[in-house]
Amino acid sequence: MKFRSLGYEIRQGFRNIARNRMFSIASIATMTASIFIFGAFFFIIMNVNAVRQDLEQKVGVTVFFEMGTDDSRIEEIGESIRGISHVSEVTFTSAEEAWEQYKSEYLEGNESLAEGFKDNPLANSASYTVLVDRIENQDQVVREIRKIDGVRKVNQSSGAAENLKSFNKLFTYASVAIIVILLIVAVILISNTVSVGISVRKDEIRIMKLIGATDAFVRAPFVVEGILLGVIGSAIPLVILYLTYHVLTTRLLTRFGFMGSMNGVLLDAGTVFSYLVPAALLIGIGIGFFGAVLMIRRHLNV
Amino acid sequence: MIDLDRVSKQYEKGHPAVDEISLHVDKGEFVFVVGDSGSGKSTLIRLLLKEIEPTGGIITVNGKVLNTMKRSRIPKYRRRIGTVFQDFRLLEEMNVYENVALAMHAVEAPGRVIRERVPEVLQEVGLAGKYKSLPRQLSGGEQQRVAIARAIVNHPKVLLADEPTGNLDPGNSYEIMNLLQEINLNGTTVLVVTHNRDLVNQFRKRVITMRRGAIARDVEQGGYIEA
Repeated sequence: MKFRSLGYEIRQGFRNIARNRMFSIASIATMTASIFIFGAFFFIIMNVNAVRQDLEQKVGVTVFFEMGTDDSRIEEIGESIRGISHVSEVTFTSAEEAWEQYKSEYLEGNESLAEGFKDNPLANSASYTVLVDRIENQDQVVREIRKIDGVRKVNQSSGAAENLKSFNKLFTYASVAIIVILLIVAVILISNTVSVGISVRKDEIRIMKLIGATDAFVRAPFVVEGILLGVIGSAIPLVILYLTYHVLTTRLLTRFGFMGSMNGVLLDAGTVFSYLVPAALLIGIGIGFFGAVLMIRRHLNV
Repeated sequence: MIDLDRVSKQYEKGHPAVDEISLHVDKGEFVFVVGDSGSGKSTLIRLLLKEIEPTGGIITVNGKVLNTMKRSRIPKYRRRIGTVFQDFRLLEEMNVYENVALAMHAVEAPGRVIRERVPEVLQEVGLAGKYKSLPRQLSGGEQQRVAIARAIVNHPKVLLADEPTGNLDPGNSYEIMNLLQEINLNGTTVLVVTHNRDLVNQFRKRVITMRRGAIARDVEQGGYIEA
């Protein structure tokens, strides 16, 4: 195809959309519905994932020291722990802080009970709380910490870690499965609509072929049309999703107090959209493009 | 210009649609191909357009052997062949000008040439005043003129017409045939498939009569005789 035909082909693509109005509306509606559902799931998956990651990082391990380990050694141990890969955060709790915390958690209202203790009963309870980037890496980090000289005990809440790990697996499989199924359904629905639209115009394709048009020339307006329908068909659900998500999250966070704790964990629209916009456009344009190319192929053989 | 050497076309079952036809048409000739329906006339046109492949024999048009022509060469070949059909085959959503221009866009002619040539050819077929009309706003005769304009706009060497007057009344049929004759006088080889007895007898051209896929009769300046 020559470059000078490009303008004509693009104009024809636009005209086709206007001319075959019912077909265009049907395609856009199908695509809008498919991508909307896809986007809604995408939101849910992204948010569950965010909550999951947040939880994951809160499940820490606690490191206690041998009796009589002095402050400078504790400092060194802290440095060693920080040097282990996958460690994301290390916080020190001194014995005094541990005692204060214990008092405020368990002896609240009965402070007199604590007065019986002259010395800090938790004198040996200075510790590091270590957070790991991903729960899957926790075991490995724990093993590394145990090797460090002066470490007496590492407390690991392995139940929580195991639960999170199996949830992670399930969640990954489920979300991949849902997205794949949705994509397949969308492709089937949309290619069906496109194929109906092209069958109607097979006479047109035949006429063009008989007067000596090349395959590329015949195909080009359909491809332009497919891409355009893809852009419109993904832009509409994106706008709807944006508004819905925005309204929904602000409502949830402002109206319902119990959701307050989720603030900062639920993703804001911008974050989700930075992934969803390219994904939806890619799907829409991809389906439009390949739908047109594949469906027209069998009519080109004239 | 057109050479058929023992050409056959056998569809899946039954008698061959075209049965070992040999035929030669010279450059600048005007030929009627007549015969009953099912005699193989339309198959002949489709073979010449390379819409279908022969099951035997060799077809040469304009110096090109169609049998061995690659698929990618077909568009270029068809651009030298104008085609007119009984049912006009215009694009309903395009106006007269656009229908004719389409054939030039299809051969990727420059815009400037298209803007000059389309009005010229519409003038030739007598439709200069109707270039903005849609096909459904035209009479059958006018629609066929548009189809003819589209067929000749790229200066084809050969014009194939498959029952061009099949859907037209006698007056319009005569006009259309006259137009095809004029095109022939300008040097284009014209092959008209028809079963319009009156027209064939009126124009006194070479007449090839087909029967059951074979050539039953081939006469210079002949008439329509039941074969």
